[in-house]
Amino acid sequence: MEKPIFELKDIYFSYLGRFPGLNNLNLSIFKGSKIVLMGANGSGKSTLLSLLDAIIFPDKGKIDFLGNELRESTFNDEIFTHDFRSKVGFVFQNPDIQLFCPTVKEDITFGPLQLGISASDIKNRLDRLVSIFHIEHLLERAPYQLSIGEKKKVALASVLAIDTEVLLLDEPTAGLDPQTTRNIIDIILEENQAGKTIITATHDLHIVEEISDIIHVFGPQKNIIRSDQPSRVLSDDQFLRENNLVHIHRHKHGDKVHVHAHRHLEHHNDHNN
Amino acid sequence: MSMISFIKESIFAEEYAVKKGLLQTIDPRFKALAIFALVISVMFLKNTLLILSIYSACLFLTYLSRINIVFFLKRTWVFIPIFSLFIAIPALFNVFSPGQEIFSLDLLGLKLIITKQGLDGAVLFISRVITSVSLVVLFTLVTKHNQILKVLRIFGIPQIFVMTFGMCYRYIFLFIEVITDTYIAIKSRSGFVISAGKGQKLVAGNIANLWQRSYLMHNQVYHAMLSRGYAGEPKLLKDLSFVLRDWIFLIVSSILIIFILWKSQYLS
Repeated sequence: MEKPIFELKDIYFSYLGRFPGLNNLNLSIFKGSKIVLMGANGSGKSTLLSLLDAIIFPDKGKIDFLGNELRESTFNDEIFTHDFRSKVGFVFQNPDIQLFCPTVKEDITFGPLQLGISASDIKNRLDRLVSIFHIEHLLERAPYQLSIGEKKKVALASVLAIDTEVLLLDEPTAGLDPQTTRNIIDIILEENQAGKTIITATHDLHIVEEISDIIHVFGPQKNIIRSDQPSRVLSDDQFLRENNLVHIHRHKHGDKVHVHAHRHLEHHNDHNN
Repeated sequence: MSMISFIKESIFAEEYAVKKGLLQTIDPRFKALAIFALVISVMFLKNTLLILSIYSACLFLTYLSRINIVFFLKRTWVFIPIFSLFIAIPALFNVFSPGQEIFSLDLLGLKLIITKQGLDGAVLFISRVITSVSLVVLFTLVTKHNQILKVLRIFGIPQIFVMTFGMCYRYIFLFIEVITDTYIAIKSRSGFVISAGKGQKLVAGNIANLWQRSYLMHNQVYHAMLSRGYAGEPKLLKDLSFVLRDWIFLIVSSILIIFILWKSQYLS
């Protein structure tokens, strides 16, 4: 039987030792899977991504990465740290945190440079990403000169430049226009087809079905309350409403005022029929 | 708001650095070396005419670099009162520079004499200041900020400092945006007139808020660095390379500096 890349057992994490961030969390993540983490604000999605990226560590419980337990002390081992950082990449929700270099070019090459990738490989990776994201004109610009969509693209490119096996994405499409969202989703799907494991935290119901094989829904107790196929979760209106995961629309069809949970266009087709 | 606009314009605008003028096309390291050597020469020159010839060359380079001369003169002469007011003006008078009288004035019963030696000293001092300031301002105008940081490396400054400077520069802009947004938010709720006491409280509160935000962001940025493999010793991109034009610039600058220094000895 295939062993998971990540295995989390009885995880408890708190901020400042007082404010629970995650509670009694158990999860196995397998290579090549597409996973979406859903939940209301503050339910623990971003905290889980930070734990998976080993930038924070649980108060209780155990996280294994390819059979090695992730603890703070584990990262005193330079070889393990290098190996882990080469395999796991994290795209932060706020691109202003991720883009800390003076230029876009330096931001994209920062990861590979730290990990000792050769200059020729870095150049090849940069050229490839520039062509995928269409960002040649941005390379010499400072991150603060970019629009939010451009920042999100560059933040994703800066992690893809490391060519990791696992991609952790925190709200990759939040605040983006439809075209940029489409562009980013296509890139994420291509990376998954190339064998990468994609773990995405998002509220965006439009993209969930495309970028997931399985959805883990977080509840107010900061634990996973449901793990299911995307089609089953998205069709369960009552569950989505109870967990604050669905927009409520109020609009007119002719003279009739109509209120319903946000769904895709097939709902309107149903209504017309 | 006007202060914030001034800071944004003077620190972040790269309007001239992206123009296709003479100095913009030169490697920043060679530009820095040439400007540094010229500033050092100006410090040691004792002949005002030679210093002013360097100043003229600087203005000519400004023109060739497609910088608006009026803008450049405003930007550089604004520093003169700051640097020289308290040094150059007293030096004019016989109290500090005794010598041949040119002009005398009676100020509240005190007879002050402007001497030739004092005037020469003040003109020499001001020409040194304006030439040095102009050279440095010219360098900063024609060089992108990220390239200025890279230039620091040729002076042996460790990469960690270069990187920290770069990050400071990058996040100053972000925090200026935060300050601007906060100011607009306050204005939209309170109108234009705020009492002095309330204003002080708002400013103090905002300083504290900004400090907390910057502290939080510092942790998050550090995590973002760790996540991408940072292990305490940053490795930065080396993407500058010399071309023939850079070498020509360096050779011409060196010849000019050597000639000026030789001429200076001859004149003295």
